[in-house]
Amino acid sequence: MRRIGLALLVMAVSPAWTHSANAAVRPRYGGTLRVAIQAAPLSIDPNDSVQANSVSLPSVSRLIFETLVVIDEHGEPQPWLASSWQAEPGNQRWQFSIPRGVTFSDGSPLTPDTVAASLRSANPKWKIFPAADAVMIECEVADPFLPAELAQTRYGIAKRDQPLRGTGPFAIKEWSPGKKLILIARDDYWSGRAFVDSVEIELGKAARDQMIALDVGKLDLSEVSPETASVANDRHIERSLPVQWVGLVFAPAEARLREALGLSIDRATINNVLLRGSGEVTGSFLPEWMSGYSFLFPVSRNLDRARQLTSETRASGAWSLSFDSSDPLLRLIAERIVLNAKDAGLSLQLSNASSADITLVRLMPASTEPHIALGNLLARLGFPAPTFENASPSALYAAEKAALESQRVLPLFHLRSTVALGAALRDLQQTDSGVWRLDNVWLWAGTP
Amino acid sequence: MSFRRKLLIFFALTAFLSVATVTWFVISVTRKSFEQINNDQAAALVAQFRREFDRKGEDIARRVQAAASTETATRIALALGRGTPDYRKFIHDAHDLAENQQLDFLEIIDAEGTILSSAQSPARFGYKDTFLPASLGVTQPILRQEELPSGSVLALEVIRSVDNGEKPLFMIGGGPVDSKFLASLDVPTDMSAALYQNSSKEFSPALLVARSGNFPTAEKISGLVDRARGAHQNASVALEGNQIWHAIPLDGADGSIPAILLIGSSRQPYLELRQHITSVAVLAATAGVILAILFSSLIARSVTRPIEQLEAAAREVSLGNWHTQVPVTSSDELGALAESFNQMTSELLSQRDRLIQAERVAAWRELARRLAHELKNPLFPLQLTVENLLRAKQRSPQEFEEVFAESSTTLLAEVSNLKNIISRFGEFSRMPQPNFQLLDVNNLMREVARLFQAQFAERGEVQCEMKLDDSVPQIAADPDLLHRALANLVLNAIDAMPSGGRLRLTTQKQAGGVQLEISDSGTGLTSEERDRLFTPYYTSKAHGTGLGLAIVQSIVSDHQGKIEVQSQPGRGSTFQIELPANLDKLQPEPARHSATTPG
Repeated sequence: MRRIGLALLVMAVSPAWTHSANAAVRPRYGGTLRVAIQAAPLSIDPNDSVQANSVSLPSVSRLIFETLVVIDEHGEPQPWLASSWQAEPGNQRWQFSIPRGVTFSDGSPLTPDTVAASLRSANPKWKIFPAADAVMIECEVADPFLPAELAQTRYGIAKRDQPLRGTGPFAIKEWSPGKKLILIARDDYWSGRAFVDSVEIELGKAARDQMIALDVGKLDLSEVSPETASVANDRHIERSLPVQWVGLVFAPAEARLREALGLSIDRATINNVLLRGSGEVTGSFLPEWMSGYSFLFPVSRNLDRARQLTSETRASGAWSLSFDSSDPLLRLIAERIVLNAKDAGLSLQLSNASSADITLVRLMPASTEPHIALGNLLARLGFPAPTFENASPSALYAAEKAALESQRVLPLFHLRSTVALGAALRDLQQTDSGVWRLDNVWLWAGTP
Repeated sequence: MSFRRKLLIFFALTAFLSVATVTWFVISVTRKSFEQINNDQAAALVAQFRREFDRKGEDIARRVQAAASTETATRIALALGRGTPDYRKFIHDAHDLAENQQLDFLEIIDAEGTILSSAQSPARFGYKDTFLPASLGVTQPILRQEELPSGSVLALEVIRSVDNGEKPLFMIGGGPVDSKFLASLDVPTDMSAALYQNSSKEFSPALLVARSGNFPTAEKISGLVDRARGAHQNASVALEGNQIWHAIPLDGADGSIPAILLIGSSRQPYLELRQHITSVAVLAATAGVILAILFSSLIARSVTRPIEQLEAAAREVSLGNWHTQVPVTSSDELGALAESFNQMTSELLSQRDRLIQAERVAAWRELARRLAHELKNPLFPLQLTVENLLRAKQRSPQEFEEVFAESSTTLLAEVSNLKNIISRFGEFSRMPQPNFQLLDVNNLMREVARLFQAQFAERGEVQCEMKLDDSVPQIAADPDLLHRALANLVLNAIDAMPSGGRLRLTTQKQAGGVQLEISDSGTGLTSEERDRLFTPYYTSKAHGTGLGLAIVQSIVSDHQGKIEVQSQPGRGSTFQIELPANLDKLQPEPARHSATTPG
């Protein structure tokens, strides 16, 4: 009950978590929440890497699997499955207390052993030792941010005996990889039963089809992509803070041509028109709201300078630009970049090859904790893991600046995650990182 | 080469050349017909392409017009009139309109050519479409290069204006001209159709659009494509693999060549037909030649048989068989020829008989003349002697006795002379047949010369020269008869040189025999004397019987030889005798050889 109270307290003090549709109406139990997402994962294991770049999949995952720690609205780690933690001097060895009374969906209790087994699967580099009521984690190096790191979806605690089981408010009823996932509410959930009886999640559904399904009442919640933003304007829309990082990753190439490309891209027009203003133009890894210093990495288009740089350098043929072809938004951005580059005299060719000269990527930070988010982004972009002397913003800034000065990447945007709500959906909450809190929603049975 | 063989070759060649000429003519006509059909098919395919082009263009025009008439188009036109366009509001309009009108391509463009919204390339908003200003007034479907994010494609598009706003607004919509478009054409099975997207100066196989699958001869038609777009006119080329390709430049709205239509047709049917014709022609020629040989053999035999019979008959006539006749088997020219031949031989026989008879009469007359002449000379002294005896009887018996004794001597001498004359005539009539023996003609010549050695001295300055060829072979001849003939000739030569001269005896080897020559430097002969020289009883001498040279000719003739004389008055005469070896006429050796055989 202490945890429930703490969770309620967190939600109460966080404006971002309290997008209540109608606070005056009392929530009701029952009904099936119908959700559709564009992603079509073949696995729902929280440790699966496919989930890393998606907003929707972590939202679904946390209905089934829970983490030891959660991040609050201030970016601070808070206990969830773990009741408390403490670090030994040096921040290399940590101990997390595992309370009693939490069970998996099959009724088996959460124990230090199951927690250790799950965490070992998520991070084999750690040395993990179960104790009587706790789990000991020993990192390779000092890690003062380990609790925040454990709040990432990938560290969701799971029993990997088939079928997958978690400690979350919902249990898996039906799973068709890449197609459909049906969850049912657990009456024995340790933090109190969810309001809806079940959740039906349709996978791999295009954004426009989601919007149509929402219009005809076949969905309660749909993703909103920039291309469907115009038709979603007259609906109940919820947007996250800009968190998804979009940028270019270069293979080794002439530095001045990379600079010319950076100067040729009209980020503002792309954001205003193609992204419908749903993003923020950026020159950094972390968004302004997260780091507070993003403005120190200015971005501006300078076509004349770009042309000059291009003319001073003998380009060797066209660069190939690849992107995730299943992502229509990246395709649009890539096509515009090709046109912008052409204005500067640069020749780019769209490609599906995995070994392209330039890759346009969209990355979801694993955490809203800036150190964890930066480290995670840099690691996924192929940079060495940054080391922070302390948790100060200057250390964070120094690490980010060093990475940017390598000129191996070119940040472009931070994108918001947007969802449209059906008329019956109530009390949808969203974290700063855009993850939906579907466990707290309820469905209104009256006439909208 | 025989006439029959010539006829055979002529007929065979005629048949072969006839078949070859007909075959060449048929192949030539077939080739021209095929080329005409090929060109007609290509033209039909081009016409079909243009019809399909127009039909799809009309369909696209209707759809683009429908898109230009929508509320969306009006909204954009009105918004455009209010100031700087907000691309965010239009960004997906082209896509939605294209989807509604089932258009692959649709762009919404202002009067300056700025793209407000693009269905096929949404990211191109704000960029200029350089194609538009040149085509603003064009209402017909246009073939042009459409720039897509993945590269340019060939597109059939239509421009329509939206007239609801203050500022002009245009919509360019259409679809790709791709393999699907080509597949809609009804192309004959032995033809192919492809398009070359003329978007690069250098030929690139990647710019070829085939009806399906790959374009197997892409590299081979690069020259054809270059020629067609360089000259801006149709071009054709025949490739290996029995294909003819036609390149037809397709014009764009601005006079450019956005694409080249390629139509290929297989020459295989033509080649198969030509092969078939050639095979038939070879068979026909072979059969024709064989039949020509057979028929011409029959014809030649029927034609040449009378000629051969004539030729054989003529040969018989040349051998002296003047009784030869040829059968008359037809009434044509050959039949007339045969009749003429028969008439000729009959006439020859008749004339020969008449000639023989005339010669015989002449010979008898000559004989009578000679006899009269020969007998008159002894008879006249006999008459005088008898008259003297009669006068002596009448005058006195004493005188008679003296005269009688004297006259008796004279009478006996003249009677002896008469007997001698009669004996020579009798001898001529009894000429024996030659007794052939091996004979050395050089020895014979030497013997004859030795025989007359004394007379050479009597006649004064007759010098005898002998030029005998040591290489002359022995021949078969009668040595006595030949000796007599040569002696006659030498005696004649001595008589022709009463005041002396030069006598030359020559032998010479000859093909198949020998040649003997007796030449003198005497008085010579007139042409008349030469012509009658061998006539019996003809003589130019005062006391000759006229049988000497006749006997010589008879002996030479009995040896199957030939005698000729060359002579001019005052320049002497030369007698040439040609004698064959006649070895086949030798009698076989008597059995004494076998008797001496050991055994």
